[in-house]
Amino acid sequence: MTSRTTQLLAGLSALALIATGCGRGDSGGGGGGGEGAVRTDVGVTAEPCKDTPNLTKGCIFLGTISDLTSGPFKALAVPITEAQKKFWERVNKSGGIDGYGVDVTTYVRDNKYNPETHNQVYQEIKSKVLGLAQTLGSPTTAAIIGDLGDNNIVSVPASWTSAWAFEDVILESGTNYCLESMNAIDYAVEQFKPKSVMAVHYPGDYGEDAAAGAKVAAEKNGLTFEAVETASGQDNQAGAINAVNSKKPDLVILTTGPTDAAVIVGQTAARGFTGKYIGTSPTWNPGLLKSPAGPAFKALYLQSGPWETFTADTPGHKNMREILGAGVTGNDGYTAGWVWSYPLQAALKKAVENKDLTREGLLKAVKQLDKVDYEGMLPASAGNFSGDANAGVVRETMIAKPDESSPTGVSTVKTFFVGPTAKDYKFDKPCFQS
Amino acid sequence: MTTFLQAVAGGLGQGSVYALLALGFVIIYKSMRVVSFAQPAFMLAGALAVSFLAEALLGIPSPWGFFLALVLGAVGVALLGLGIERTVIRPMVGKPVFVIAIITLGIDIVVRLVANIFIGLDVRPVGDPWGLNSINLGGVQVQERHIVMLVTTVLLVAVLFSFFKYSRLGLAMRAASFNQETALAQGISVGTVFATSWAMAGALAAVAGTFQATGAGIDQNLWIIGLKALPAIILGGLDSLGGAVIGGFTVGLVESLVATYQGDFAPWLGQNFSVVSAYVVMLLVLLVRPYGLFGTKEVERV
Repeated sequence: MTSRTTQLLAGLSALALIATGCGRGDSGGGGGGGEGAVRTDVGVTAEPCKDTPNLTKGCIFLGTISDLTSGPFKALAVPITEAQKKFWERVNKSGGIDGYGVDVTTYVRDNKYNPETHNQVYQEIKSKVLGLAQTLGSPTTAAIIGDLGDNNIVSVPASWTSAWAFEDVILESGTNYCLESMNAIDYAVEQFKPKSVMAVHYPGDYGEDAAAGAKVAAEKNGLTFEAVETASGQDNQAGAINAVNSKKPDLVILTTGPTDAAVIVGQTAARGFTGKYIGTSPTWNPGLLKSPAGPAFKALYLQSGPWETFTADTPGHKNMREILGAGVTGNDGYTAGWVWSYPLQAALKKAVENKDLTREGLLKAVKQLDKVDYEGMLPASAGNFSGDANAGVVRETMIAKPDESSPTGVSTVKTFFVGPTAKDYKFDKPCFQS
Repeated sequence: MTTFLQAVAGGLGQGSVYALLALGFVIIYKSMRVVSFAQPAFMLAGALAVSFLAEALLGIPSPWGFFLALVLGAVGVALLGLGIERTVIRPMVGKPVFVIAIITLGIDIVVRLVANIFIGLDVRPVGDPWGLNSINLGGVQVQERHIVMLVTTVLLVAVLFSFFKYSRLGLAMRAASFNQETALAQGISVGTVFATSWAMAGALAAVAGTFQATGAGIDQNLWIIGLKALPAIILGGLDSLGGAVIGGFTVGLVESLVATYQGDFAPWLGQNFSVVSAYVVMLLVLLVRPYGLFGTKEVERV
């Protein structure tokens, strides 16, 4: 008898759950009627957000899936997430999205940089959010990209692979690893005329994307090229170190994590390597200057990046620093999180203007964006999501050098430029697939 | 020849890290028959403690400030090991070893998460005085830190072996590992043996972590290197202290030599064969000696 009662209760609770689940979806669509009303479906409620009761039109929920505790990119992910929180606070303070508040704090999940975990937490929050304010990592986002596309869930990536240029639902900002490495090589050719290039890179669409771009640029400039794949982990760099020391290339394009970069740059220099390194932005961490490899970094290393570092002078950088407050130590995770948020703000605005804040409506709004105001943080032409991959992709890169006096450990030596290789490059698929 | 000697020097340096870690694993295994997966976390916590202590002790002339920090850090992690053994592991004694092994996995995660908070966002230097300086030994460039690592490891191994051979507690530990019940009947406190083994393993892991971090610094992935001790202990034999040391150095040497020569002699193996080379050697040894090079052969009666 007791077990029957339990079964009955369990069945009833399940029914109740299903019923409330449906209710949530319906209430979100409250604005569906009436002329002039904004249509909504998932992730937008008629009630204001809990932190912005003054924005009475409703609340837009955006999810965040990031590497917040124990994964390898925590050092970037935490400031990215913090900057995005502040970005949307600023949006809410200045009237929200035409009277709608934006909530990016209710559905924040940790992916531990694991694609499986990423997918799992994504499934948890997907029915509650309109889009994703952040989905960190290329392999992790690849695990959900099919589902994002199927459900029209517009998402802001926290990675720079060239694959995003081919995904409608992904709102990427700044250049990708592939074009960045092309520009890095063109810059090196102009500055110190290398004859040989080696790409030392992680496997996957971070390292391989950069290596593919480096190969294209090396061939175009008539340089010899070799790619050396290396696994992550300080103890796994012996092969890469040996390759650099035995082949002695004039230029190494480096796409690893920071400590692995320290091992490679430090150890090769200790064994007498005198060529140059140019690393992509995830390779860098301000702590590297204080590491044993610090002197080697100062002597040999330059860093390429999709935008200027934390201390730059653009209106966007200034606003970001002001809102983050004086107590914050400069970190380019903040810069990245901030820059990435502009196109989503523009798309939401456009969707509300179109009176269609459904998932489909938001995606439609994205496709209508032909430029985004990044407050000077990216070139004026950036943010074109209306055309194909070649029209939309940002090709500008900047170059920085290690600099102890800057809080991020680097300062700009060459601001936005497009090298001849990147300028003419035509995408027909992501670089790492070619 | 110079290239070969250079690879050997690097391999011995890295091998000493593996050897110290492997010793910690084996000491706990011998006393409790459990592979403790908390070792990687102790390694991270130790390196981190030393980095903070070295910063605090900057006033003491180099390199003594760093060595003092290393000793204090090792003692700190030993106490941490002691505390964890007393509160979390001891109540589980008598439960299947599998259960205890899973608990050590949990300890590993908790200790690492706490350590991660202290690492902060930037790569932390461990504060050693050597950097990447090297000296010339007969035409071979050898990094100072590798020499220090090797010498310290040899000293620690000598001290440990004398401890097990000559001290009362060391003998008690060997007796308990041989047969716990008989040891108990002879008046040996098996609890003390367990506690000591956790403390020793913690201290060894702390030294290993610090040495590993001298190359590039501490980030939250440093712990993964702790798992490299697994092929070392299986290679040497799970219950052999000498095997752990030899296994550790073998893994270091094999990795370094494969990284140096495989590209020239066996490029068809791919670019990163050195990463798996330790496991290949382990498998080869297991084919010939299923209990490792120096492990005790278990007699199974069916």
